[in-house]
Amino acid sequence: MPDFAKETDPGRAMPLAISNLTVSLGVGEGRIAVVEDVSMQVRPGEILGLVGESGSGKSVTCLAALGLLGSGWQTDGEIRLARTRIAGSMSEKALSSVRGLEAAMVFQDASASLNPIQRIGKQLTETVARLRKVGRGEAREIALDLLRRVEMPDPEERFYSYPFQLSGGQNQRVMIAVALAGRPELLFADEPTTALDVTVQSQILELIKSLRDETKMGVVFVSHDLGVVKEVCDSVAVMYAGRIVEAGSVDRVMNSPRHPYTMGLIESMPTLSGHIPDGIEGQVPSPLNRPPGCAFAPRCGRARERCRKELPIGSSDEKQSKDYVACFFPLTGDLTRAVNSEPVVRSKVANAGGEDALLELKGAACDYGTRRGLFRAISGVTLSMQKGGSLAVIGESGSGKSTIGKLMLGIEPTSEGTARFNGRPVPILGTKDHIEFTRSVQLVPQNPYLSLDPRAAIGSQIEEPLEIHGIGTRQERRTRKFELLEAVGLHPSLSDRYPHEVSGGQCQRVVIARALALRPQVLICNEATASLDVSVQARIIELLRDLHGSHNLSIVFITHDLRLARSLCDRVAVMRSGQLVELGETTATFEDPQHPYTRQLLASIPDVEAEHDQSREIAQ
Amino acid sequence: MTGFVIRKILRTLFTLFLVVTFVFFVLRLTGDPVSAMMPDDTDPAILDELRKQWGLDRPLGIQYVEYWRNLFQGDFGNAYRDGRPALEIVAERIPATLKLTLTAFAFIVIAGFPLGIVAAVKRGTAIDRGIMTISVTGFSLPNFFLGILLIFLLSVTFRLLPAYGSDHWYNLIMPVITLGTAGAAVIARFVRSSMLEVLNSPYIRACRARGMTEREIIWTVALPNASIPTITILGFMVGTIIGGSIVTETVFAWPGIGRLLIDAVTSRELAVVQTVVMMTAASMVFANLAVDLLYLVIDPRRRYASGTGEQ
Repeated sequence: MPDFAKETDPGRAMPLAISNLTVSLGVGEGRIAVVEDVSMQVRPGEILGLVGESGSGKSVTCLAALGLLGSGWQTDGEIRLARTRIAGSMSEKALSSVRGLEAAMVFQDASASLNPIQRIGKQLTETVARLRKVGRGEAREIALDLLRRVEMPDPEERFYSYPFQLSGGQNQRVMIAVALAGRPELLFADEPTTALDVTVQSQILELIKSLRDETKMGVVFVSHDLGVVKEVCDSVAVMYAGRIVEAGSVDRVMNSPRHPYTMGLIESMPTLSGHIPDGIEGQVPSPLNRPPGCAFAPRCGRARERCRKELPIGSSDEKQSKDYVACFFPLTGDLTRAVNSEPVVRSKVANAGGEDALLELKGAACDYGTRRGLFRAISGVTLSMQKGGSLAVIGESGSGKSTIGKLMLGIEPTSEGTARFNGRPVPILGTKDHIEFTRSVQLVPQNPYLSLDPRAAIGSQIEEPLEIHGIGTRQERRTRKFELLEAVGLHPSLSDRYPHEVSGGQCQRVVIARALALRPQVLICNEATASLDVSVQARIIELLRDLHGSHNLSIVFITHDLRLARSLCDRVAVMRSGQLVELGETTATFEDPQHPYTRQLLASIPDVEAEHDQSREIAQ
Repeated sequence: MTGFVIRKILRTLFTLFLVVTFVFFVLRLTGDPVSAMMPDDTDPAILDELRKQWGLDRPLGIQYVEYWRNLFQGDFGNAYRDGRPALEIVAERIPATLKLTLTAFAFIVIAGFPLGIVAAVKRGTAIDRGIMTISVTGFSLPNFFLGILLIFLLSVTFRLLPAYGSDHWYNLIMPVITLGTAGAAVIARFVRSSMLEVLNSPYIRACRARGMTEREIIWTVALPNASIPTITILGFMVGTIIGGSIVTETVFAWPGIGRLLIDAVTSRELAVVQTVVMMTAASMVFANLAVDLLYLVIDPRRRYASGTGEQ
C-alpha cells in the first residue's frame, strides 16, 4: 500500500493539511469536478470556518478528507491528517483505521446520525472500546465520562436512553461525545447546530469551543451562518462553486471582506440591529455548467471582461497562506454599514388591539389530542394585528408559534378564547365559510418543494386558486398569472416549468405568487425562508417587504430567527412553551427586552455585527 | 406491556370468531354432505334419515349455536363416515405438516436473508443482478409447477430423489424447495431494498465516520435496522406457506393436513374441514400476534410508542 504512509512528526502534527484537492463525481473524461483546487490547513486548537451556500462544496471537502464519499467519486491532490495521508486508492479497511482516531465528524442531523434502535450508552461504549482498544468495563467508564464532558444532563440515566427519547441538542451532545471517543486531532463539524434552537445552538457552540481549549484539537466548522462562524471560528475559508474564494482570520474576513461574494454573504445576513438583508442575484452554478472565468462573475456587480475569461487563482504560495482572495478586483477597506434604526416597516396604525384589529387572538388556547390525552399547545394568547401591519411570531421549537398560525388560518379551532378576522370568528377548515375565508388569508409554508405539486406546471399552480374560486375567464386568469409571476420577480417563461426544474428560491416565489393570486389581506409565512440559502433568503425578505409596502398586505411572519423578525416586522410576539411572554414594537423590544426569556434569546443569536472576542484568537 | 398484549389477544380472538362463523355458514350453504357421500340413486327417505341423524335437518341458527357450545367443551364434531372425532383426525396429520412448513419457513429465512444482504452490499454488480434475476424467476413460478418440474428432473430424469414418501429427511428436499422458493425470493428482494435504504441513512455514514468497518456496520447496525420492516413480511409469509402447503402436499402425496383438507372438502366432511380451517386460521392470526410482539422486542420506538416501555 504505497499511498498509506504513516509518519510521525516531531511535536504536534498539523491536524489537517489539504493541498490542491480536486474532487470529482464519476471517472475518466466525463467526470464532473465538484470541488476544485482547494487548499487549507488547520493548526492544533484552531477552528476553521468553512462557509458558503449549498452546492459550494463544503461538505464534499470534509467527506473527502475522511474518505467517506464512497464509490463513484475521485479525489486528486493531497489530504494529510495528523499522521496519515488520505489517498483515493486507500482501502476501506485502511480508512476505517484512521477515522475516529485522527479525525472525527459530527453531522447536521444528530438525531438521524445515531443508530435508532440502540441505547446511546451502548453506541458510545462500543466506539470507545474499538477506538481506544480497552475492555467493556473500562470503555463504559470512559463513555460515561464523555457524556459528562459534553455536559449531558443526568448522564447516568441518559446512558440508557434511545436517540428518539432525547432532544436534538442532547443527541448532538451524544454525537460530539462519540466523536471525542478516539481522542481525534481533528473534528469536522458539518452544520452541527443548524437544526437546533438558538439557545441550544449557543450551548453547543460553547461546548465545541471549550472542548477545543481542553483537547487542542483542530476543528473544521462548516456553516452557512456567518454569525455562527464569527462567534466560534478563528479563521474562515469561503467556498463558492467548489473553490475557495477567500480565506483569512475571522476578524479580517468579517470586518474587511475582499471578495465580492464574501461581501454579498455578509450583506445577506439579517442582523439584530435591523440591517436589511441584501441578497445576491442569481444562483450558484451547478458543477455541470460552471462559467469559464470566475464562477461568481455572472452574479458579481464588479465583474469586468477579464473576470469572465480568466480564472482568478492566486499562486500556490498564496493559496497555502492563511490570507487569500481569488479576485482580480478585490474590495478594499473595512465593512461600513449604515445601521438602520428606523422602524423596519412603517406601521400604518401605531397602536395595536382595539376594534379595528384585522386579525386577533383573544385568550386563545389550543389542545391537540394525543394518545396520552390532550396536549395544550398554547394557552391564554392575546395578540392582534392591524390592517397593513406586520407581526413576527418568534420562539423555539415547541413554543407554539406554528399553532398560532394554525388558529389564524382556521386549520385548528380554538379550545378556549377566540380567533377573529375582521371582527368575525375565523371559520374552521372544512366548513363552507372557510373556503370564502381563504380568499383573505393565505399561507406560505416552509418547504416550497413540498407545498407544490411536483407534476403540475408552475403557471397552472398559480392559476389554481383562481379556478377553485371561479374567478375570471380563462384569458383573465392567464393575464393574472403573468402579473403574479412578475410581482414575485419571476420570468414569464417559468410558467411552463415544473417545480423540480427551478431553484429553491424561485420555488418559494411561486408559492408566494400562488398565495397572492386571490389578493389576500393577510399572508401567514411559517418559517418561509428557513430552508433557503442566506443570499436567497435575503431576496425573499426583500420581496415580502415590497409586497407589504405596495399591496397593502399584512404579514404574519412565524420564525425562529430573531434577526429576520427584526428586518421585516414592526411588531413582535415572543412565544415560549405555549405562552406569549412578550409583545411589542420590534425596535423597542429588541433594544430593551422586558422579559428575561427575550433577553436570553437575543443573547443567543450569533450576529455578524457582534464584537469578536479577541481573547479567543490563537497565536498566528 | 400487559394492556397492549391483552388488547392484541382480544383482537386475535375476535378474528378467529369471524373465521369460524364464516366457514360454518359457507360450508353449509354450498353443499350437502349427505348427498355427496351417498350414491346418486339412494332412496330420498334414507338421505333424510341420515340428515336427521347428523342433525343437519335443524335450522342453521340452532346448528350454529350447538356448534359453539360443543366447541367450548372441546368437541370439534365427528367425521360422518367413520364417526371418529375430527380433532383426532386432524391432530394425527399435524406433525407431517409442521415438519414441512417449519422447514420451509427456515429455508425462506436461511436463503432469503443472506441473498438479500449480499445483493444489497454488492449493489449494481453482476452478483446483485444475478440474485435479483433468480428472485424474479423464483416468485413468478407457480409452486405446483415448480413441484412437478422438480419431480420430473430429480425423480424421473436423473432418479436422484423419490417422488413421494415422507419417512426420510431427503423426502423433505423437493417439497420444501417447492413451498419455500417463492417466499425466499420475496424475502431476498425485500431484505435487499430495506438494507439499501438503511445503508443510505445518515447513521450509517456516521458509523463509517467513527471508524467502524463495513462488516461491523452490515451485521451490527444495518441488518438489525433492516430486519424490522422485514418481520412484517415474514408474518404474512406464514399465511402463504400454509396456503402453499395444500398444493405442495397434494403434488408430493405428503400426509399432512393440506391433503386432508382437500379430501375432506370433496367428501363434505364438515367437522374436519371446519377443524382444519380453524387450526390454519389460528396459526395465522397467532403468527401475526407473534410478529406484533416481536416488534416490541426489537424496535424500542414501538415499545415506547405503544406505552409499554419503562419511561
